Amino acid sequence: MGHFIENPRSSCALGGALAFVSSIDRAIPVLHAGPGCGLQATAGQLGQSGGKSFGYVGGQGTPSTNMFEREIIFGGVERLRETIAGTLEIMDGDLIFVLTGCTADIIGDDVESVIEEFKAQGVNIVHTETAGFKGDSYYGYNAVVQSIADQLTEVVPKDAKLVNLFGIVPAQDIFWEGNFEEIIRILNKLGLKVNSFCKEQQGLKEIKNSAGAAINIMLSPWLGQEFLATYKEKYDIDTFRYPGLPVGPTATTDFIRKLAKQLGLDNVLVEKVIAEEENYVYSYLEKIIGSFTRYRFSIVGDTNTVLGLTRFLVNDFGRIPLVAVITDQVPEEHRNTIERELTSLEYARPPKVVFENDKWKISELIKEYKDDVAFILGSDYEKEIGKKLDALTVVVSFPTTEKLIINRGYAGYRGCLTFIEDLYDNN
Amino acid sequence: MKSIIAPNREDRPHALTGGGGCGGELSDKFKKRCLKNADRTFAQATQCQQINSIQAFISMEDAAFIIHSPAGCSGCVSFMNDLFKVGQYHRGIDNVRNARYVITNLDEIDIIQGGEKKLRQAVLELEARHQPKLIFIFTSCASAIIGDDVDAVANELNGQVRAIIVPIHCEGFKSKVPATGFDTAFNALIQYVFKDEQPQKEPGLINVFAPMAIGWKDQQEIEQMLGVLGLRVNYIPFYSNLEKLKKIPAAEYSTSICQVFADEFMEQLKQDYGIPYAKIGMPLGIRNTDEWLIGVARLAGKEEVAREYIRQQHQRILPQIAKIKERIQGKKVFICAGTARSFAAATLIEDFGLKLVGLQTPTYEEALIEDLDRLIKIHGDDFIVDVANMQPYEQANLVHKLKPDLFIGMSTWVAKQGITSTHVLETKRPTMGYNGILYLGKKIEDVIENPGFNEKLAKHKKLPYKDSWYLESPFKFHKEAGK
Repeated sequence: MGHFIENPRSSCALGGALAFVSSIDRAIPVLHAGPGCGLQATAGQLGQSGGKSFGYVGGQGTPSTNMFEREIIFGGVERLRETIAGTLEIMDGDLIFVLTGCTADIIGDDVESVIEEFKAQGVNIVHTETAGFKGDSYYGYNAVVQSIADQLTEVVPKDAKLVNLFGIVPAQDIFWEGNFEEIIRILNKLGLKVNSFCKEQQGLKEIKNSAGAAINIMLSPWLGQEFLATYKEKYDIDTFRYPGLPVGPTATTDFIRKLAKQLGLDNVLVEKVIAEEENYVYSYLEKIIGSFTRYRFSIVGDTNTVLGLTRFLVNDFGRIPLVAVITDQVPEEHRNTIERELTSLEYARPPKVVFENDKWKISELIKEYKDDVAFILGSDYEKEIGKKLDALTVVVSFPTTEKLIINRGYAGYRGCLTFIEDLYDNN
Repeated sequence: MKSIIAPNREDRPHALTGGGGCGGELSDKFKKRCLKNADRTFAQATQCQQINSIQAFISMEDAAFIIHSPAGCSGCVSFMNDLFKVGQYHRGIDNVRNARYVITNLDEIDIIQGGEKKLRQAVLELEARHQPKLIFIFTSCASAIIGDDVDAVANELNGQVRAIIVPIHCEGFKSKVPATGFDTAFNALIQYVFKDEQPQKEPGLINVFAPMAIGWKDQQEIEQMLGVLGLRVNYIPFYSNLEKLKKIPAAEYSTSICQVFADEFMEQLKQDYGIPYAKIGMPLGIRNTDEWLIGVARLAGKEEVAREYIRQQHQRILPQIAKIKERIQGKKVFICAGTARSFAAATLIEDFGLKLVGLQTPTYEEALIEDLDRLIKIHGDDFIVDVANMQPYEQANLVHKLKPDLFIGMSTWVAKQGITSTHVLETKRPTMGYNGILYLGKKIEDVIENPGFNEKLAKHKKLPYKDSWYLESPFKFHKEAGK
């Protein structure tokens, strides 16, 4: 799996997990890890996600066992025990996520027995194995939801209007806050309540309620196979999987119709929402006809971003794709789905689809199109090749430290307008 | 050549990584050698030495870097790479590029079978891609625990590839003091780059050792001041290159941007190459800048030139400082910053008539005895010192109790306590020398004049601590080290 990577585009499992847990309201992460992990994970994940930091707790404020030589040699279980006890004494929270790093997982500390001691005292506490060598940020995201499904939920009454929303990975999707807000807005408009765990100050209560949801919405062609199976097995919750982020009128309408069909939503309401929203978008698009340009483009980013933006640019916005580079480590068995999505667009020649995350190799790939590419969508890294090829480069994917991103997003109906604003270039 | 650089900063005589109390008492106990180091039974995340080692070299022009670890250990490279890019922009470079760093991306299989093969591939590939003159390899907790023989890989490939391969053993778990990572990095230079070569001496050349936190404006200010003394600067290791590294032994003098950066390295250079050095506090503020400049001038026998320059600068700057002082004097200040910067800042605030009530610093050691005494002379002996690598929970407690009017340091936590704040660490703006102090003075004046953002934020957002924590001693979780 892990080839070396020049200029990596993800943190490790611990980084992905810490960013996710930090976004759950009143959840306290406790690291059982090396001394630098909290800072490295925060700088690497949140810091490269558009200049953001944590909200309530995170970063250097994260309780941590800071394992030094003594703990590596003699074991760190006692350090963990006193760190959790200290956390309970001074930190004001509802639940504790113990995240283990490389050091703890390599030396094989018996974390479970410590967790059990605290559980027996009535503490809401879970353990997630997030050693960096286990995988990247997406692995960490999956692992946190898995521990939620395994350790924090139990059977609750069903709620036909409640959905769980997965697949937007906090701080790995650089527009995650805005993307969540737009998808939640649309789902609310369809009469649905949404569990995101990490928006609208959701926390322990919504985590518990998730076992009673009508459906799990997964906005990714490959994430969450295992935890979705757990939700199905334990609580009989089906999955509605949409391949990547819906961006723009065509994809968002497609997303709504397919979801409505699976959930059996009132068709009159659904079509009314679609008509209103599409009209909203087009009432703006008619005002920018004059600045509409057609560029050939290359795109570099995670699956959700590349699928979402390429579909929008080709199906709704008249652009021509050249090469689409997917940078997350998608398991082989899901790569066909992604290629199919990108080669069955409504218009234009399909792009060449490549799975690669090494910046140097990606730049070499983009160079192959140097006579055609006028426009590159990618991360901060791609500005380097963009400058060399004299191609306009817009930052749409992880990592970025050059852009400050608060609540803007590209998802849904409204998001595509924000995206168009970012594409504009007056030169 | 046997290195005199102590493997870990906590192993230096009487060094402290944890402890707290009022300044007078600490100074007293420290001098009597009866101050015990403290461990914490509860702690928050810290910085590790790997971060500092990487930071030491990441901005070198002709080098490439391998972080032998899973992906997460390159986390802090993100802000270093950002600084590297901004640094190029400030230096007028048009085609701004990223630092050439790779992670070996150690995975579960590597943890069992070892990662040396991958490391070897990474070296060869970097050589082919970028033809660097140096390839630095940084170890990690994971690579060290599984026992990868990084030195063997480096020795095997040194000579096979054109680049000099420099392994740096900076795994985080080995030292409690992040700054150890700088020493580890400098130590590797002696072994792999200098190799006992004796280059031709260059009269008037001075090595200035500075960490990456020193921005372009600060570098210009330093070079300008040393230019007054007729010295040419070999600025190391930031935005430097192999040629400049090789010139280190050729220099006539050495100094550093503060008293705890490259200090043992300079002593080593003195012993090996007869290069005298000045070990002085950071040139932040009037008094510190005066002392820094005079310290260097003494080395070069140019004390009179320095004094004349200082007189001119005072004439220019002091009236402006006095105006700022008039408006803000008497305010209470809490400072949290790196070791040298926190002490320098505590002296600097005297320029504006501000009073120190609390100081959070990652380490305390022998080199700082005079600095602490000086602070006691300026501010009295009742300010609180907290020796802590980060630990915002202690900071929150102290700030709550001491109620400063101004906080100097990272505003992440105090902002939610409604305390107005600024920093004297500005990686992209000036802070040092006589021009830096004016910039900092205006900044300090501004945040005192308009604390609105923090005051209103505090009404809406709180820190993640229970109310009961603020009633406890901030040092409640300290226990004698090793017990």
